[in-house]
Amino acid sequence: MNKTKQLFAGTILTAIGQESARADYTLNLTEGVTKISHDIHDLHMLILWICVFIGLGVFGTMFYSILHHRKDKGHQAAQFHENTTIEIIWTIIPTVILISMAIPATKTMLELDDVQDSDMSVKVTGWQWKWEYEYLDNGIKFFSSLDEESNKARQLGSDIDPRTVPNYLLNVDNPLVIPTKKKIRFLFTAADVIHSWWVPALGWKKDANPGFVNEAWTQVDQAGTYRGQCTELCGKDHGFMPIVVVAMDQPDYDAWVKKTKAEAAKGPNLSDKSRDELIAAGQSVYEKNCATCHLPTGEGVPGAFPALKGSPIVTGDINKQADIVLNGKGAMPAFGKMLKADELAEVITYTRNALGNSVGDEIQPKAVQAMLPEGAAAVSESDEDEEEAEESPAPAVETKADKNAPSSKEALMAKGKAVYESHCVSCHQAGGQGLPPTFPALTGSDVVNGDIKEQVKLMKTGKGMMPAFGGTLSPEEFAAVVTYTRNALGNSVNDMITPAEIEALQ
Amino acid sequence: MSAVIAPHDHEHDDHHDDHGPMKGWIRWIITTNHKDIGTLYLLFALAMFFVGGAMAMVIRAELFEPGLQFVNPQFFNSMTTMHALVMVFGAVMPAFVGLANWQIPMMIGAPDMALPRMNNMSFWMLVAGVLLLASTLFMEGGAPAAGWTLYPPLVLQTGAALPFAIFSVHLLGISSIMGAINIIATIFNMRAPAMTLMKMPLFVWTWLITAFLLIAIMPVFAGAVTMLLTDRFFDTSFFDAAGGGDPVLYQHIFWFFGHPEVYVMILPTFGVASTIIPVFARKPLFGYSSMVYATASIAFLSFIVWAHHMFLVGMPMAGELYFMYATMLIAIPTGVKVFNWTATMWKGAMTFETPMLFSIAFVVLFTMGGFTGLMMAVAPADFQYHDTYFIVAHFHYTLVPASVFILMAAGYFWLPKWTGHMYNEKIGKLHFWLSAISVNILFFPQHFLGLAGMPRRIPDYAVQFADWNMVSSIGGFIFGLSQLLFLYIVIDTIRGGTGEKVTDEVWEDAHKHSLEWTLPSPAPYHTFTTPPETVPSEHF
Repeated sequence: MNKTKQLFAGTILTAIGQESARADYTLNLTEGVTKISHDIHDLHMLILWICVFIGLGVFGTMFYSILHHRKDKGHQAAQFHENTTIEIIWTIIPTVILISMAIPATKTMLELDDVQDSDMSVKVTGWQWKWEYEYLDNGIKFFSSLDEESNKARQLGSDIDPRTVPNYLLNVDNPLVIPTKKKIRFLFTAADVIHSWWVPALGWKKDANPGFVNEAWTQVDQAGTYRGQCTELCGKDHGFMPIVVVAMDQPDYDAWVKKTKAEAAKGPNLSDKSRDELIAAGQSVYEKNCATCHLPTGEGVPGAFPALKGSPIVTGDINKQADIVLNGKGAMPAFGKMLKADELAEVITYTRNALGNSVGDEIQPKAVQAMLPEGAAAVSESDEDEEEAEESPAPAVETKADKNAPSSKEALMAKGKAVYESHCVSCHQAGGQGLPPTFPALTGSDVVNGDIKEQVKLMKTGKGMMPAFGGTLSPEEFAAVVTYTRNALGNSVNDMITPAEIEALQ
Repeated sequence: MSAVIAPHDHEHDDHHDDHGPMKGWIRWIITTNHKDIGTLYLLFALAMFFVGGAMAMVIRAELFEPGLQFVNPQFFNSMTTMHALVMVFGAVMPAFVGLANWQIPMMIGAPDMALPRMNNMSFWMLVAGVLLLASTLFMEGGAPAAGWTLYPPLVLQTGAALPFAIFSVHLLGISSIMGAINIIATIFNMRAPAMTLMKMPLFVWTWLITAFLLIAIMPVFAGAVTMLLTDRFFDTSFFDAAGGGDPVLYQHIFWFFGHPEVYVMILPTFGVASTIIPVFARKPLFGYSSMVYATASIAFLSFIVWAHHMFLVGMPMAGELYFMYATMLIAIPTGVKVFNWTATMWKGAMTFETPMLFSIAFVVLFTMGGFTGLMMAVAPADFQYHDTYFIVAHFHYTLVPASVFILMAAGYFWLPKWTGHMYNEKIGKLHFWLSAISVNILFFPQHFLGLAGMPRRIPDYAVQFADWNMVSSIGGFIFGLSQLLFLYIVIDTIRGGTGEKVTDEVWEDAHKHSLEWTLPSPAPYHTFTTPPETVPSEHF
């Protein structure tokens, strides 16, 4: 008796357990967590019901006819073949319905497009097959790729049941973190082929085109984790580059920013290591970054991705190999931009001494660091600068110019360089040469070399793709970057504007 | 001329004028007879239907469960790409050209196509193009895997297959253009004197309009792929931002071709449905002239709506709104067609032989594809639907239970006329019911998957999509296997079918609707060597 009871309870528990273990499927479009996603959901339901209604009418008529107007029921065929009145009616009614659908659709469309007055901007770059997020306001920058557990389970013949992997294929190593209740502007571009960034809960997706920038925005009011995927076919691992957005309330977000910046400031560990240590550490770097193309065994995919096993490059001059790994070649991305010097040294050493190769040499992190462009080091330095700056009471929200704010041209120029590098460089580029035709050059630009007040006005209110910096920068930062652009980047107007003057113009 | 040299041979010579088909296999290579070429097109299309179908089975098998079980992601992408290319260019388009070859001369009272030798050439160029395309499966780096849309920069990463695929597209394009020229020339020049334009059967009308679409769009596609070729091999930068180009430019060019292209596959479908439904409703087609005008309107609109495939590429607001409004307009002429078919059935004396069953299923299921099309025309909603399984469900509803079902219907409808044998109605109906049910099990759940957030063109998916994918795959396997019944019926009918003697009109009072039913069954090798005196009036 007792046993039967136990068995019964066990069965029920198992059944319930299975029920909850099963990820729940949905039949309809999500309502999402933004105003836009709600509007789109409402629009979707409206059109769906209109279609259902029309469908019932048409199919109802047709099936009535099929049931009653049959030869085997002895129905005699009528011979009518036109009726102008009814034909005009069934042209006009759909037209009216279409107009009634177009009006709310147009409203939502206009709302989707309105990226004005954003609180912060995130630049999203699609890579084969990961996403890069760059916070244009605070310089945080990182890659986000499929999490390790999903990556292991998704290999052909892995024998790992995807149902045992939490958030299978919808989980990443570094999620995009955004603050709640803030209007966030996204800038989309791609490094190689076209990708598309979609988080259903936000209500939209947007293509990331190489060489061009698209815009979109969102404002999430509720903290939470929202998942999505790449939706434009981008090669073999298109199905394996998920998106995870974590929306945090402002204090949590601020803490995250601080922590992330502190980590980024650490920089690579440049101490020397033994060959075996490098090889051991290199394996995980290889599996995460190289194995998708060159395969876990290093055999590659003939015709598309060369084998590393026995490759003349991997078994040849180590500096030449390092050059290709750091700077890329053809479809091979430049890993110098993605990995730190120690990781690069590890993975290069690994490929030379594993995967069927045994060259028997190694490269040290220091040597790799020396090969990296100056920019890599400069970025981490400027990050540190900002760290220090942040310790002084909240400079970003400061509205009045600090009395002690630097007003000498030299001080403004130094400050302006840092502001330029964190706010302007991603579009107008490090040397001010821009990316014509989308982003104009500042070097020799009519605006930068013209009336200083016009330049300030344009930067305050924005123009086309150019965002309005009036709300983003403090008067001091504003004055600094204006002065900087006019006296550097190949320009020498030889004038300046002080924070006080900026404030006066407001 | 031989009569002058050898007068005594006159009798033999007269007989020679009336010869039947050539003996032996060479007949099928060098034939210029519209019926032979129609048969070649149809059989080739049927073979490619099974090749493309086999690829679909690979796709559905891999998607049966989450995780990768059978193929690697690169090969999966090749399968989705090749499935689409083979089905569009190897199966559906050639099948309609095959129907045009058989039916247009017989329907307008012409002895043959206007340009018989070009007819032969366009068929063999099609075969060459498709074989070339198929051969890329065995090349280093694999077959193209960037989707049938061949978007750069991704498609430029294709291995050795790229130039072969592009040349194949050129061949298929030339073949289509030649076929289209032939159809236009035939319809404009070879009609029986009594066959005025507004007396032509709807099938002929829709093909006339389709042929103009083909001539307008195939060169555009050829141009787009040629730019891909020069970008890859001759250092041009049409689609490369680093050289001043734009990858989105390709999408504009492609969809200027691509949108009319999908109508190339649906307009003749409308024509066949408008031909079959009146016969089995025993009523004239309702609103003949509005059908003609609606077809022409749809063809015109198809040229000015292309960027609704590109709502997410970052177009200016004015562009988004214009393409949304223009696309919504398509619903009006398409609605007129659906209402006309319904009105044709209304108060008829319907019977439900296999061709009629497939045609009714077409009207219902195509309308469902039309509804989802309307939903996606609404640009902001498309920001969610775009590139998900919702669109996969949409275009498969407008292609499989629409174009493919109508091709099946046409097969059942005209096979007795072509072969002189009756198909087995019981197996035909079994084929219909299996297909009609399984096609919905296959594609309907894909609406749910798309709305729930599953992107298209992925070989593996998150576990919340597992249930509906399994249902969809099961539907796919049943649908795939059911088509073997059609293959059996075609072979069986050619070899004698039920053995029942078919009459000239085959279907009750069919001769009232169209000219081919006034000919003997099977249709003789040469028909209408002299044009018929009278033609059926649309208002019998």
